[in-house]
Amino acid sequence: MGRIETRGLSRTFGDVRAVEGVDLVVRPGGLTGFVGGNGAGKTTTMRMVMGLLRPDAGEVLWDGRPMTGADRRRFGYMPEERGLYPKQKVADQLTYLARLSGMSTADARSAIETHLERFGLAERAKDRVEALSLGNQQRVQIIAALLHRPTALVLDEPFSGLDPAAVDAMADILRDHAASGVPVLFSSHQLDLVERLCDHLIVLARGRVVAQGAVDALRAGGPTRYRLVTDADAGWVRDVRGIHVHDVDGSAVLLELVTEGAEQAVLREAVARGAVREFSRVVPPLAEIYREVTA
Amino acid sequence: MTTIRQTDRPGHDEPAGHDDPAGRTDPNGSTAPGAGLPRAWALVARREISSKLVDRTFLVGTLFTLLMIAGLVLAQALLSERVDDYDVAATPAATSMAQDVADQATGLDDKVRVRVVDVPDDAAARAALTDEEADAWLTPGADGWVLVGRDEVPRNLEEVTATVVRDTTLTENAEAAGTTVAAMTRGSQLTTDVLVGDADQRDFAQGMAFALAFLFYLSSIAFGMTLAGSVVEEKQSRIVEIIATKIPVRQLLAGKVIGNTGLAVAQMALYAAIGLVGLSFTSFGSFLPSVTGALGWFLVFFLFGFLLLACLWAVAGALASRTEDLQSTSTPITLLLLAIFFGSAFLSGTPQTVLSYVPPASAVLMPQRILEGSAQWWEPVVSLGILLATAAVVVLVAERLYRRSLLQTQGRISVRQAWSAPE
Repeated sequence: MGRIETRGLSRTFGDVRAVEGVDLVVRPGGLTGFVGGNGAGKTTTMRMVMGLLRPDAGEVLWDGRPMTGADRRRFGYMPEERGLYPKQKVADQLTYLARLSGMSTADARSAIETHLERFGLAERAKDRVEALSLGNQQRVQIIAALLHRPTALVLDEPFSGLDPAAVDAMADILRDHAASGVPVLFSSHQLDLVERLCDHLIVLARGRVVAQGAVDALRAGGPTRYRLVTDADAGWVRDVRGIHVHDVDGSAVLLELVTEGAEQAVLREAVARGAVREFSRVVPPLAEIYREVTA
Repeated sequence: MTTIRQTDRPGHDEPAGHDDPAGRTDPNGSTAPGAGLPRAWALVARREISSKLVDRTFLVGTLFTLLMIAGLVLAQALLSERVDDYDVAATPAATSMAQDVADQATGLDDKVRVRVVDVPDDAAARAALTDEEADAWLTPGADGWVLVGRDEVPRNLEEVTATVVRDTTLTENAEAAGTTVAAMTRGSQLTTDVLVGDADQRDFAQGMAFALAFLFYLSSIAFGMTLAGSVVEEKQSRIVEIIATKIPVRQLLAGKVIGNTGLAVAQMALYAAIGLVGLSFTSFGSFLPSVTGALGWFLVFFLFGFLLLACLWAVAGALASRTEDLQSTSTPITLLLLAIFFGSAFLSGTPQTVLSYVPPASAVLMPQRILEGSAQWWEPVVSLGILLATAAVVVLVAERLYRRSLLQTQGRISVRQAWSAPE
């Protein structure tokens, strides 16, 4: 199965350097989250990956070789702003898009039936798109991206505008595709969602990749924190060396290591002073890592 | 296969990443699901046509135009079959002359029938006219005869009456002079003739030329507007972004232009066929052989003229970002079409000859000249060649403008911006 890679991807709009020297890897078999603030360059990068924009410099690779139009034709892509032909019937429209992706009419028909069924839209197949609710229109667009058994998925904000049930359904679908060995890249503003779903993360800020890697590794690379809860007031921790006290609230303390191993000294001292109710390592949430790397 | 790394190829015109616009063969070979598929433009063209064929506005419009053509032909037929009946009032002094007119009228003009209405005196004759019991009043005047109408004297009645009055009077005068009319008028007859065709046919050809110019205008506007509309619809709904990742933008443009051109030509051929069939039932049926050839030329010119215009319409759509912008981006084409229409309706002589070589006006004016019989056999061939060459250039220019403006969504784009925009 394939893997998407970019090398030194750059693009300028007028005087604005939208994307600069982006190297990223989207591995097959997992979900890769693409996060970054507004204007960080996510959409521009995805459009260059999909061949909609020509990079000023750099290249896009598929399986280690330059990506071609024929490769992209079999990708599933969802642009940031959604839309379909409003006056065409759902099934006809999906057939058309599937045919453009290289499917035969017969294959397209059966795939459409399966997918409409799965999204609860089976009885809407003959309706015009404009007659559907916005949520259902978005479902049709998702189907359009998935229906030709894509070899890769590139989705720009696939979760925006979905209700909680649809978010769960979408997440399941993405996991399924990832599990079948397809590389999945999706952008999102919802960090909690990315944290819950993704194996890999790419953080973009001002057009550059500021962090990239497995979510666990990224978090492990963040500050190491421990939480201590004792019976009595824990103000004494301020005097322990090698740590930085983040927060003291009576008997509960959140501390950050400055020197490796200093947490053992804290624990020994706590045990010497009385009962220890809790002593645990705290993994910082993704939001915090994000704030740190994009600061 | 080339790569997306194309920074070292200035002026390179391929859409990013799509370097195999024709074949689109999958590198995996024949096992790929894409193998053996029709070309992308054919899929696009098919969608353009099928979505149009279920569009009620299009179907109703086509039907309406067909009915209009059939109606016009029918009206023409009825008009040519019509016989005018006239009641001519005559006092006892004029009865004999009026009776001569009534007897000879139909022999002189088969569309005219005259009946004599006897009235006792001039006052009664005037009353008959005002009360619409008579259409005209024939009465001896101070020097000859007077034909009085209510507010006008019908022309064909006047012509018939004049002939009869002159003949009758001449006969009387000749007898009085002891000779005969034939002897007096021998050798004085002037008849007219034309070398090419006949006058009736020329009138007919001019009417037909106008009808064709009108149909060209109507069809170009109707198809052009919907073509531009569908381009901007794809842009506005962003579905073009999905399509552009699947097929080269060039194929999308080709499919749209070919689909709409095919449909427009088919529609025009249908109109022409109905018109011809209708005409064969009228007294113009004898003109059909010469008209059919000209109509064939018209369809060929229409095909390439429309192809050229369709590319312009597609660009007008791509330059807009919302349907509201379309009004302004398509104005130049609308004006161009209006100019062609009026030019074809009012120009004759040298300006007409010159414009019959200038595309896209030549698409209407040259077939008109063929119809009017003023074009040598080689003229349409040369004009068609010029049209073809121009269409080829327009297609290339339009393709660049379309491709470069299609994925830009920040409002109206000028032609200059589109031309120099990076992809």
